[in-house]
Amino acid sequence: MTFHRGAITSIMGPSGTGKTTLLRLIARQLHPDRGHILIDGVDVAGLSQSGLYALRKRIGMLFQNGALLTDLSVFENVAFPLRAHTRLGERLIRLVVLTKLHAVGLRGAADLMPSELSGGMARRVALARAIVMDPDILIYDEPFVGLDPISMGVIVRLIRRLNDTLGISSIVVSHDLKEIAAVSDQSFLLSDGAAVASGSPEELKQNDTEMVRQFMHGLPDGPVAFHYEAPDYSQQLLDQGTP
Amino acid sequence: MRQNRAVELGTGLFILLGIGALFFLTTQTTGRNDFTNTDVYSVQARFENVGSLKKRAPVAMSGVTIGRVTGIEFDGEALEAVVTMVIDSRFNHIPDDSDASILTAGLLGSQYVGLQAGGSEFYLENGGEISFTQSAIVLENLIGRFLVKGRADE
Amino acid sequence: MKFLHDLWRSQSEFVRTFGAMTLFFFQLLRYSPSTLVRRFSLVVAQIFNAGALSIVIIMVSGLFVGGVLGLQAFANLERFNAEEATGILAGFALVKEIGPVITALLFAGRAGTALTSEIGLMKATDQLSAMEMMAVNPMQRVFVPRFLGGIIAMPLLTAVFTMVGLLGAHLVAVELLDVDVGAYWQQLQQAMELDDVYEGITKSIVFGFVASLIAVWEGYNSVPTPEGVGRATTRTVVSTAIAVLILDFMITAYLL
Repeated sequence: MTFHRGAITSIMGPSGTGKTTLLRLIARQLHPDRGHILIDGVDVAGLSQSGLYALRKRIGMLFQNGALLTDLSVFENVAFPLRAHTRLGERLIRLVVLTKLHAVGLRGAADLMPSELSGGMARRVALARAIVMDPDILIYDEPFVGLDPISMGVIVRLIRRLNDTLGISSIVVSHDLKEIAAVSDQSFLLSDGAAVASGSPEELKQNDTEMVRQFMHGLPDGPVAFHYEAPDYSQQLLDQGTP
Repeated sequence: MRQNRAVELGTGLFILLGIGALFFLTTQTTGRNDFTNTDVYSVQARFENVGSLKKRAPVAMSGVTIGRVTGIEFDGEALEAVVTMVIDSRFNHIPDDSDASILTAGLLGSQYVGLQAGGSEFYLENGGEISFTQSAIVLENLIGRFLVKGRADE
Repeated sequence: MKFLHDLWRSQSEFVRTFGAMTLFFFQLLRYSPSTLVRRFSLVVAQIFNAGALSIVIIMVSGLFVGGVLGLQAFANLERFNAEEATGILAGFALVKEIGPVITALLFAGRAGTALTSEIGLMKATDQLSAMEMMAVNPMQRVFVPRFLGGIIAMPLLTAVFTMVGLLGAHLVAVELLDVDVGAYWQQLQQAMELDDVYEGITKSIVFGFVASLIAVWEGYNSVPTPEGVGRATTRTVVSTAIAVLILDFMITAYLL
């Protein structure tokens, strides 16, 4: 799999096929058993602790639920990476944080605590936090899950806009076809831990592999079986009677 | 920022309270060392038996505490116990032929050193020694003596 | 055969967990000095959480535990006409045993569970992963401050508990049951050595390490689901109680 610089690449696939695992491998929160992950030609598995931290400063990650630090205000959450890694003065930090919050439209919410935010707002704050260090790579883990249509539209627009204005390479994990089609330049379809198809969303729709068709068109039965693995139906029903 | 101040204030109060409690425990529950700071002079007394006398036990005269026991050692030469005690230097007119005995406060209470004034014109001084002593009464010996006496009477 | 296999599995799992916990403990120790210097404000916040927020339950419990000790000591000593020794009995019990042990148990219930569930929740909501992704070591930001906060808070809480307990015993014995106030304190002061107080303090320091370690570890090790966090919280209380009582016996046996 190759992710192109400056493009939005999406990773799709049924639940449990290893999408989130892939993200964690990229950020090396997990160690690969086999294979290599190269970022700018460097194998992440071979990085030292400090090398890894240097790499992570270049990666912004948006977690499923935002993962805002609950004991800090919105402002402090966004300022967190700055305080940890830079020696900027208080005024400069304020400037940067407010700019990023403005970019996601939440400058007015700076003094709220994360518990006071709605799901969509929390995710936008998390997005502001992810871009505060001006990363080269932005990773979105299921950014559309559990949002109302308005928030979803906002997030979709933000992903597109941030990618284009900041020149970031984005990786989006999701299974919301419509939103993915709206934002991504290229998609991968994962199944059982392997990429089974790739291309632009339109190309994938045309793809007539059984697996891809089932996923793209939401068919209930196919390679991903409707029934969980079980003994023969009639056999099991009959067995119930005899002790 | 205001919340931060409250946290700092609460933590400060808590730590002060905790240290105050520690101070209370180390000073108020253990034997008071009120004879270590004031002016004192120390004297020694030799006992045949000190019973369960402990360091920091009071030294009393007429029932009033005037000092503390500061050390109990065993003299291997004379085979006697040497008790060192300090006495408040306000009480510097204690005759040097006074009599020291080890007494028990109540039936089950702890032991202390009781001084009985003598008639000498010379007074105890720092480093002096009380020569008339009476050992602690050890209950077993007392009972033993009773039994022996009882048997002799028969 | 299956039974033996299960036994072996549970035993080796126990040993593995214990080993992981020990490694975690060394990690905590390793990052403690730098955290104390560079992130002192975080430690202060955790002293507040573990200590200042527990002070009410500690004081109320101490008052009543001391009071009941005073009652019991008086009732039993009265039979020997030795009511004056109430202070000795209540004091020794409080300073050497009850103070450190009950404080540690209350700590596990109040601060330990809070630590475990808080860390478990941070884990469940990806906050720890997010920190790692922001190249911030959760060890220094999350675990060590909480660990140190507990360690600093415990001896202070124990001292407060013991002091309030002595006050409670004093109230019952002197004010309620008319033990002579001079006799109460003088007997206690004569009987108690500084070493006895140090024994209590030693215990509270050991308990502080153990209770904080268990609370932070259980949070770190929890399954990141609501159910998992709940179970980890329960385990914190159970493990801390058992560890504290066993250690109390061992320390007492060693120091006697």
